[in-house]
Amino acid sequence: MTAGALTTRRRSIRRRPIGYLFVAPIVLFFVVFVGYPFLRSFYLSLTSWSGLGSARFVGVRNFQVMADDPVFWKVLGNTFLFTGVTTVLQTVLPLLLAVLLNRGWRAGVLFRTLIFIPAVISLVVTGVLWQLIYEPNFGTFNEILRGVGLGGLAHPWLADPHTVLPALMVVSLWQSLGLFTLIYLAGLQGINPSLYEAASIDGASPSQQFRSVTVPMLRTVTGVVVILNLINGFKTFDMIYVMTGGGPNRASEVLGTYLYGLAFGSTAGAVPALGYATAISMVIFVLCLAATLIQLRISRRSADVD
Amino acid sequence: MSTDAPTTAAQAAAPGPAGTWEALPAPGRSRRAATRSAGYLALIIISAVTVFPFLWMLATSLRPSNTVFGGPLVPRSVTGGAYRRAWTQLDYPNHFWNSVYVTTATVVIVLALATLGGYAFAKLEFPGKQLIYVVLLSTLMLPITAIIIPLFLEMRSFNLLNTRQGLILVYVGGALPFAMFLMRAFFETLPDELIQAARVDGAGEFRIFARVMLPLAAPGVATVVIFQFLSTWNEFLLAQTFISAPQYLPLQPVLYGVVGQHSTDWPLLTAALTMSVVPIIAVYVRMQRRFVAGMTLGAVKD
Amino acid sequence: MRPEPSTSRPLTRRGVLRGGLAGVAALAAPSLASACDSPDTGTGKAGGKTTVRVWTWYNEQRDEWPKLVSEFQSANPNVVVQNRVFGDTNSYLPALQAAVAAGDPPEVFAPHVLAIEYGKAGVSADLTAELGEGFLKDFFKSTRDEYTDAGKQYALGWMAQTFGVFYDPDMFAQARTEVPETWDDLEVAAAKLKAIGKLPLAMSNNPGTSGLDFFLPLITQVTDNPQLVLDLDLQRNGARWDSAPVTQALAKVEELNKAGAFVPNANALQGTQAEQLLYTGRAAMLFSGSWSPQGFVQDAPPAFVKRYKVAETPAWAAGRKHWTANQAGAGLAVSNHSKNKAAALDFIKFIYDPQRYTRTMNNSNSMPSTQSAGALVANPILKQMTQWLLDGKGAPHILFGKGSSDSAANGLAALIGGQSDATKAGQAIQSAVEQAQRK
Repeated sequence: MTAGALTTRRRSIRRRPIGYLFVAPIVLFFVVFVGYPFLRSFYLSLTSWSGLGSARFVGVRNFQVMADDPVFWKVLGNTFLFTGVTTVLQTVLPLLLAVLLNRGWRAGVLFRTLIFIPAVISLVVTGVLWQLIYEPNFGTFNEILRGVGLGGLAHPWLADPHTVLPALMVVSLWQSLGLFTLIYLAGLQGINPSLYEAASIDGASPSQQFRSVTVPMLRTVTGVVVILNLINGFKTFDMIYVMTGGGPNRASEVLGTYLYGLAFGSTAGAVPALGYATAISMVIFVLCLAATLIQLRISRRSADVD
Repeated sequence: MSTDAPTTAAQAAAPGPAGTWEALPAPGRSRRAATRSAGYLALIIISAVTVFPFLWMLATSLRPSNTVFGGPLVPRSVTGGAYRRAWTQLDYPNHFWNSVYVTTATVVIVLALATLGGYAFAKLEFPGKQLIYVVLLSTLMLPITAIIIPLFLEMRSFNLLNTRQGLILVYVGGALPFAMFLMRAFFETLPDELIQAARVDGAGEFRIFARVMLPLAAPGVATVVIFQFLSTWNEFLLAQTFISAPQYLPLQPVLYGVVGQHSTDWPLLTAALTMSVVPIIAVYVRMQRRFVAGMTLGAVKD
Repeated sequence: MRPEPSTSRPLTRRGVLRGGLAGVAALAAPSLASACDSPDTGTGKAGGKTTVRVWTWYNEQRDEWPKLVSEFQSANPNVVVQNRVFGDTNSYLPALQAAVAAGDPPEVFAPHVLAIEYGKAGVSADLTAELGEGFLKDFFKSTRDEYTDAGKQYALGWMAQTFGVFYDPDMFAQARTEVPETWDDLEVAAAKLKAIGKLPLAMSNNPGTSGLDFFLPLITQVTDNPQLVLDLDLQRNGARWDSAPVTQALAKVEELNKAGAFVPNANALQGTQAEQLLYTGRAAMLFSGSWSPQGFVQDAPPAFVKRYKVAETPAWAAGRKHWTANQAGAGLAVSNHSKNKAAALDFIKFIYDPQRYTRTMNNSNSMPSTQSAGALVANPILKQMTQWLLDGKGAPHILFGKGSSDSAANGLAALIGGQSDATKAGQAIQSAVEQAQRK
């Protein structure tokens, strides 16, 4: 089986075994460290289990409870809202920042480094700092507003159920800006300069070039950023847990914090509701599977267009 | 570069020296100068906001503990005592080494396997490909809370609890699907012609992957490395749960241990955090040029 | 940055396997490879020695535990104590729960609100049987009761708590007002303090459960019956959250809130921030537990630490009892099935030795759970707060029942945030509890 023989036949025939070899390690890892625990979780979602003793099989009861659990629906809504808004913000703003940074600045490396810093700062510090910034009575944010004569806008950002989620979205944006900007910068480096030259010869203005060259050429990178944002948004836990614990009165409760409370915290009281918690994660799984399938369908269609 | 429009293109393509702006004719120059000042201003404001926590951390780590809150940002009196305490009391060097070990191994394995898999899903055909791909991606958004206990029980039956190697395996297993997805996205943008040409030259499939395609996927590799490095370095819940022997704990669980329910030794915590962040920033600054260079390799694809 | 497989050797298909699976193969059986970590270092016998793992989140005593451990180890050279102090319950609980689910909890651990459940499930040992009534009789009743079920003692109180009003006497002098005796007095004092530009009582309710420390004892203040909160918690004896006493207590919170007795926006305020408001001179009073003196010593300016005082929780009316929140949320349980249980019990006896226990509590400014140590409290503020325990003013403030803590916290948060009133909040709590019982 020489390499030369490979090229003479159709791919699908010749490359059958080698494709499997390439993906085998991933599949192996997946089956052992994700798939198998997941199947056990699926079984748990059909049980009532406190983590002590053995689980009691209850069939689909957890899912029935979920259907009229008002907290679940509220939390689901919060999660979608948080994920949706952060995905849009954290896809668009880093792109603009990357384009700005990519224009060549004398202190370019310095700016890139400074903007990246929040990504490496531990969550404890992030939580504490933003607590200090949002503190209603002497917090930095309100002080700045008062300082520039906008004292009327000073607000108890984390205490008001209407502003707590937006306030947390800002922290999320702040934290992720550097990483996503970096990913975009990597993508921008890969765009062939001749495309811009051609566009400018055609008389395209900078903003037209942005739309007709930069955005389409970054489609892959943007897709990656969007998916990353969706995943991060759906899984958000740490930041919200540290800053508000999901409060006040569940105004910032998301799936991550709710599940944690049910499984480990005191949400369910002295008896953890592990069965119920895993049932909720099964619903998340189905939703995400659907989203993945839709995304695949879309990307295949756009690939066909190419 | 004599008209207004092309500057953007040239600048966007190659982050050249700022001096190019000065070469413009006078009317364009004043407008450009204004835009440029606005750009600088924006960058300075954004950087100030992002660098603030680092400065706070640094300042706090140097304060005596009872002046942490309520005082000015720049400490009136400064002490390095917290660093000494962090180094000795927290057994810092050992945990730092554990973090380096676990993170490096995780990143290397994830990168190796994810590039292989990503390439296969992007460029090779084999029966059941779509199905395997969808299954791998299906759990991307599953919260860790959902599987942590079954995973723990499984690791226990493998006798892998309480080992750094076990933790690495768990990290790799959790990270691979996404890293593979990333690499696939980057490999998809590369033209098939390169593969066909290499086959004509008689190269084997693995050789094509490693020698022809992988270098072109450098932006993807950089993204996976940065993303994986950060998420592994900062992970604490699994580390905390799966490792109980203090000598094997990575840094993050130890740092979290300093945060108390009711009160926290802030100088100690921030000193330890500063020591954990500075090496990352140093590596980042050093690697930055390499990344940029590596990324431009990808430009051939157009 | 260069990935592993891109070596310069030409590779065959077999090379794919080698390159791709090298890492997996190297790590596939770590327990067999000599280069890998020994998983047994943390459990069972290490180097022929008996290991006792001790897991808590009692970070305030981070400097004290190593002393206890090294003293115990020199007295028992064949035992290794592996001490882990987790930062907070956030990271502690998943680790504990996983260990329990795997049937291998640490030998000594903080049982959190699951203390009784762990006991009933046979996870933690009955300490009455193991240590004897003689050992237990020194503990304050309230710190025993919360860990007792059907006569069995499933954990011991370690650090006890009472709650009170910490205040800055200078500000009261400046405002020419008295430290409040009743809630009505508090409203008067708050107005005068605000007149000199100071914030009144800092009460934190972020996360939402922290406000329960304030609210639940009010129910006892209404009825003078500490049993009612326990009944509400477990939904027994016909106790309901929408009943009159609860509504009256909620109405008091609403009244105080509307009268401006609290620092604004309690829902955004975390415990440490509330403390900061007091010791940085912004607020005159802080409602908090007996852990605050620990924090003050660590974080507050020395002048403040010398100056501040503590007063009892204001009473419902003049002459009524100053019920205050009390219990020992920080306890210690012993694993029932560990083969090193005997060593673990030795360790427990060792650290509760009256002299050693008193020293540990005094060094860390913690409130002890035993009467002998209670009589020897060094810090005058803590001594005063411990006295309330001795006087029998303790009222329950930790909810263990399914859904109780969460539902009550959310009802209270809505009330404090102005999105609800006393009647509606009571009804909301009751229906949320009923909903949670089904999960």
